[in-house]
Amino acid sequence: MICPRCDRDSAYKVVDSPVGEEWSVFICEKCFYTWRSTEDEEITNPEKFDPRFKLTEESFEKMLCIPPIPPLKSGG
Amino acid sequence: MPYTDLREFLSKLEEEGQLIRVKEPVMPEPDLGAIGRAASNMENGPAVLVEKVRGYSQKVVLNVHGSWANHALMFDMPKDTPIKEQFLELSRRWDNFPVPVRYVSSTPVKEVKVTKDINLFELLPLFRINRHDGGFYLSKASVISRDPEDPDNFKKQNVGIYRLQVKGKDLLGIQALPFHDISIHLRKAEERNQPLPVAIAIGNDPVLSFVASTPLGYEESEYELAGALRGEPFEVVKAETSNLDVPAGSEYILEGEILPRRRTPEGPFGEFPGSYSGVRLHAEIKIHTVTHRIDPIFENLYLGLPWTEIDYLQAFNTSIPLYKQIKASMPEVVAVNAMYTHGIGVIISTGCRFGGYGKAVAMRLLSTPHGMPYSKIIIVVDDFVDPFNLEQVMWALTTRVRPDKDVILIPAAPGMPLDPSSEPPGMHTKLIIDATTPVPPDVVSREVELIETPPKTELWEKVLRDLQSKIKGRG
Repeated sequence: MICPRCDRDSAYKVVDSPVGEEWSVFICEKCFYTWRSTEDEEITNPEKFDPRFKLTEESFEKMLCIPPIPPLKSGG
Repeated sequence: MPYTDLREFLSKLEEEGQLIRVKEPVMPEPDLGAIGRAASNMENGPAVLVEKVRGYSQKVVLNVHGSWANHALMFDMPKDTPIKEQFLELSRRWDNFPVPVRYVSSTPVKEVKVTKDINLFELLPLFRINRHDGGFYLSKASVISRDPEDPDNFKKQNVGIYRLQVKGKDLLGIQALPFHDISIHLRKAEERNQPLPVAIAIGNDPVLSFVASTPLGYEESEYELAGALRGEPFEVVKAETSNLDVPAGSEYILEGEILPRRRTPEGPFGEFPGSYSGVRLHAEIKIHTVTHRIDPIFENLYLGLPWTEIDYLQAFNTSIPLYKQIKASMPEVVAVNAMYTHGIGVIISTGCRFGGYGKAVAMRLLSTPHGMPYSKIIIVVDDFVDPFNLEQVMWALTTRVRPDKDVILIPAAPGMPLDPSSEPPGMHTKLIIDATTPVPPDVVSREVELIETPPKTELWEKVLRDLQSKIKGRG
């Protein structure tokens, strides 16, 4: 399944609604974008997703790492 | 009497007309976020208990801290207690810190235990808080951890509210910023390539949320501050799988560990400065055990363009520790108002021992653990100016500031990365405005005598109020 935010084929269903058949929730295993089937197309549809919040290859490369990973201590 | 848990507090709020129940089913999106925003838009905004969310069986409560009325009730004060009186009362109770915890052996949060096939999307009624959040967040959960180099030291055990994105059935992302205490624990664990055990408490005594978002010193216990502010020891119970102490009254406890030396995308998230944070690489928590009450209530927090619930929650727990830290070495300080965007903006009222003292008070603020990264705009006013009264503060700015002498910029100082004007993220320029009256040896070019309040003013205020209420009564 295509992730609406990063356009990679890396999304999967994580749950169907525990009560009734109301909705399902999906997650992208690459960028962790999460959405519910009942949300509107700017949230759920890769082609209509709000471009201000899209992720590209470049955005992944530029992501800050917080907090930084410290050097290993010797013997650690 | 202090509250033993969230439910007791909700009952009190309902009794005082400060809790509303929504009984009709609502959609997770956009209704729950909208309810949180709407409640904090209301004057004396109530807590809102949503009894039915489509697709879930659990109840959701929002805006528990979202008004000065609720804030006063949390500390067992009348709901109409003025803001400055709440500040002074809390400041008095703060002096009883530390009050040791009380351990209990059985609590309702252990009623149900899940260790297999954990799916947080089933166990918690999760929802998107703001439209462009990257996922579903726990925005009001307290995260408990211990120092891996000193695991038996109770005082180094930390309780903090950090934003948590649910990133998988048993996976969370955590925003631990470098100046947060949990980042010290995480660094020590990662230097050894070891996981860091954590417990996450959801749905708590409101005082716990207050202390968990308080910038305390590294060896100061949030639980022991909760005891001081409640007036009775805070009750804790041992976690199921670690040496961590968790709140006995919680609705849910998630137990797991931060995976060492791993960072994955997290965000964006609509944050307290009123804008979205970017997507960044943050640490991950793997959950292996969940305990909860039989019929748990999920407490979460809406935050957006100020003011929202988070601005009430972070008002005095930011102001009072800064006040105590500055006053310890500068006793002339009268009060600190750090309610603006978690202390990015601060107003300090102080007497001045000698010329330039107002500026020195501001620099003392900038050397405190919280003021150093967060505080960007610092206004210092005289001791007779109420820093919670913005009309008085504006008066001080307009009549006391000599822009060529009293406005100072300190470039390239530590900053707060969530502030969108922070450049680069995590650094900013400090602005100090000294609006105190100059005292020697500062040059006082002309004497300034304040206009005194006419005698009998207080009496006339009362007379006029009585006359006004009689007119209202006729209407």
